[in-house]
Amino acid sequence: MSSCDPSLLPLSLEDRLSDAQEEFLTAHLSQCERCQRELEHLAGQPQVWSRVSTALKTACAGSGEAIFTDESHTTEESESAADFAVEFLSPSTDTESIGRLGDIEILEVIGHGGMGIVLKGFQPELKRLVAVKVLAPQLAVSAAARRRFAREAQATAAILHPNVMPILTVHSTGKLPYLVMPYVQCESLQQRIDRTGPLELVDILRIGMQTANGLAAAHAQGLVHRDVKPANILLEIGVERVMLTDFGLARAIDDASITRTGIIAGTPQYMSPEQARGEPVDSRSDLFSLGSVLYTLATGRPPFRAESTYAILRRLTDESPHPLREIAPQYPAWLGVLIHKLLEKQPSDRWTSSTEVAQLLEQCVAHIQQPAVFPLPAACQVAKPKWWRFSAARAGVAVVVALSLAMGMMFLPPLLRKNSRLEPTMATTPAPAPPPSESGGRQPPESPTPPTAPTTEWNHGEESLARLRKDLDSWTRDAQQLWKTPK
Amino acid sequence: MRTPETRHSLIVRLKDQRNELAWAEFVCAYEPFLVRLVRRQGTPDRHIPDITQQLLIAIARSVNGWSSDGRDASFRRWLGRVARNVVIKFMTREKKQITGQGGSDFLQLIELTSDDTPDEARSQQYEHELILWAAELVRSEFRDTSWRAFWTTQVEGRAVADVARELGVTSGSIYMSRSRIFARIRAKISEVLDDSEQQS
Repeated sequence: MSSCDPSLLPLSLEDRLSDAQEEFLTAHLSQCERCQRELEHLAGQPQVWSRVSTALKTACAGSGEAIFTDESHTTEESESAADFAVEFLSPSTDTESIGRLGDIEILEVIGHGGMGIVLKGFQPELKRLVAVKVLAPQLAVSAAARRRFAREAQATAAILHPNVMPILTVHSTGKLPYLVMPYVQCESLQQRIDRTGPLELVDILRIGMQTANGLAAAHAQGLVHRDVKPANILLEIGVERVMLTDFGLARAIDDASITRTGIIAGTPQYMSPEQARGEPVDSRSDLFSLGSVLYTLATGRPPFRAESTYAILRRLTDESPHPLREIAPQYPAWLGVLIHKLLEKQPSDRWTSSTEVAQLLEQCVAHIQQPAVFPLPAACQVAKPKWWRFSAARAGVAVVVALSLAMGMMFLPPLLRKNSRLEPTMATTPAPAPPPSESGGRQPPESPTPPTAPTTEWNHGEESLARLRKDLDSWTRDAQQLWKTPK
Repeated sequence: MRTPETRHSLIVRLKDQRNELAWAEFVCAYEPFLVRLVRRQGTPDRHIPDITQQLLIAIARSVNGWSSDGRDASFRRWLGRVARNVVIKFMTREKKQITGQGGSDFLQLIELTSDDTPDEARSQQYEHELILWAAELVRSEFRDTSWRAFWTTQVEGRAVADVARELGVTSGSIYMSRSRIFARIRAKISEVLDDSEQQS
């Protein structure tokens, strides 16, 4: 049996363990009765445990409250989705059709989400396939949900852009309001990641660029999407086109008519910190979400994860995401710079606009395809070390430390010897390096290609600097501790 | 059904800005509970917003009676106590009275000071309601498997090993999930219940 680590228990209660710690503790708890007891005791005293259990048991026995059992949500929804077609559609003479809705022959159910279901239909007069999004019956009775649905229509109708799924018509007065959109053969980005795992560099950049362009069109209208996530980004099959959809939460920045209700709107994992705190948001909130999406594309998982929504929200507001390059070292350092700047907690620390992000991503695509012709955009170069911005006194200390540390480090001498040219640190492999792969594909981490293009080389120097900065930061902290006068 | 407007009409002016914030937060956390409680007391749907608002007003009025005892977070603790007493008084009243209209009579009936001591049975009932409300909130925060692990082992009292096999998880993860869920329920309750109540 593994040895006990009591310091993990309180962290576990707050859902703040790292993946490795979580794995360790789960395995440990399966065997260690002492830690089981300790953990439960930390969660609450035995009499409180039993009071809660008793209250829940009696409530359940008394009124049979379905709310606490898991059958409540899932089955109810799927049942209503099936019943719904029968009740909502009028009969059709077309044998292919499962029913008729206005001038649309409904062919099949494509899927359902939080707001309702999506149907595939055919408009015989116009001879075109359409996708029909119908508000769920249980929501149609709520005035707020109907308003939200209508808002999606208005919001989206205002944006005409190749990267935004257009809305053809809206029927908001009927029993169940519905939207009509063009039928596009597509899969969502979520389905893509589930299917393939992390994407190639060039795909991340292209998808990011198009999403940013779609967002820019919305932002230009003063709209904030508020729910940018892989499930709302559609990839047209066969064409390299991305379409942003589901403006259900979109809201004009100056729209004061809707008051905050305290209900979490949006998908916690892709929310911005300001959204998580329930504060007013602007277009920069969407940039944060875009950052989370790109991070997910590169690593296969969202930057902020936990067992409960509450813990996710807290991580969003309190914790820095795990450095991208530590999870996915196969990507160049500048991808991390680009994405982490989107994930800054302070909106003012992020890239300034979706237009800027789209342009940067476009330049990055050009760069990886023709590094010799297109330099990496300056803004994506690995940032100046943080200690650069320190106060003069601390910077002074830092410089001394930097020098003494640097002397002891292997990378500096070759760096100095080659005067202005920066050589990669593993300069022992003299073989001519192949040009960076055309597709920008990921390379296995164990055999890194020695970089040749000037920019990549420079990156390498920057990386060493970044590593140095890390050491420096921790050293400075230690030094401050050391010099603190004892009380 | 929810009435965000309520909050605007219930802005209180306090000397200490931090207390104003505490009040706003309290109302945010407490209102959903009140709505649930008022409904469970058998109030007809159309009266629920009104009664909820009346209760909040009664609590808001008592805010004026508060004076600091210098202890940390004492405003929040005190607020929790007043709210509890208002609600318990409300629960004690005859059903026929609460279905009726609000008005000043209603306010007088439920308006109290923090010194009133409600009877034990009602206190229990109040705590019971709080637990249910907190559990309902926390339930939506967790994954289904986690909640089931908590529910079947803790409430239904089934053996951890059996449930682990059934859910296809390790028993360690059940201990972890159910402790997390429990800690969250407790945290939710203590958001509205003062600390001394919690420990008792």
